[in-house]
Amino acid sequence: MKSLKSIYLILISSLIIFSCQSVKTALFDQYSYQQTTAIKVEASNVMDKATTPFSNNKEAVEKLLLDVDKLVEYEKNKPDNEITFAMWKILSDKEKNLLAGFFKRWEEKGSFSPVFLQEAKKQVTDALDLLIQYEVKKDKQSKDNLVDLINLNK
Amino acid sequence: MDIEKLLKELKAQLFALLEGNFNEFKPQLQKEITLFLEQSKDKLTRWTLLLADQSITKDEFEWLIKSQKDLLTLKALQTAGISKIRINNLKNSIIQTIIKTVFMVI
Repeated sequence: MKSLKSIYLILISSLIIFSCQSVKTALFDQYSYQQTTAIKVEASNVMDKATTPFSNNKEAVEKLLLDVDKLVEYEKNKPDNEITFAMWKILSDKEKNLLAGFFKRWEEKGSFSPVFLQEAKKQVTDALDLLIQYEVKKDKQSKDNLVDLINLNK
Repeated sequence: MDIEKLLKELKAQLFALLEGNFNEFKPQLQKEITLFLEQSKDKLTRWTLLLADQSITKDEFEWLIKSQKDLLTLKALQTAGISKIRINNLKNSIIQTIIKTVFMVI
């Protein structure tokens, strides 16, 4: 019976290893969550000034985009993190029309009308919310994995 | 301005773009166009009205439409990621059930 139990354990272990390969996702990351939230708040504050000349806010924009670049680099090198990295790539692409694209346009146009700013800002903050919500979803998976690990060791 | 008529016309124009092209992907592209228009309806309506009363320029309208396309791409990525998480959770539950059941019968 003991050897049968061992065979079952080997089979199950193989199943676990096999099953984890295809749809692996990075687990919840407190640093990513905090940084993304901080970037959203900072971006919102900087965007609020976009009715004034870009030149007056250049330093704040550059600091924000540097923070974004640092986080994108962090996400790029995290294992099984293709989706979050792909989302950040769109947000940080100046040729797209979200976070970095907003600042590129502001620089080109000098300033925005309040109506356009309101609409464009909503698009950017909605995009950042999608990233934050996705990271939070990973939290449940991390908890479940921990519970599974505890149960396996009982 | 009749927004419903505008959206209908927009859909027809976008579908017409596919005629004779992209035959291999046509059903998928038609589905994506329909989904884009459905998910963007409220914003398209608001932006069209803002454009009509000259609260935003044509250039700004175009920027907003493109931002909506990018936003929907992000949404699609997020949905794919959440599906992967759900599959992982399901797999974990399956494995737990297998282990418990095997241990019970041995």
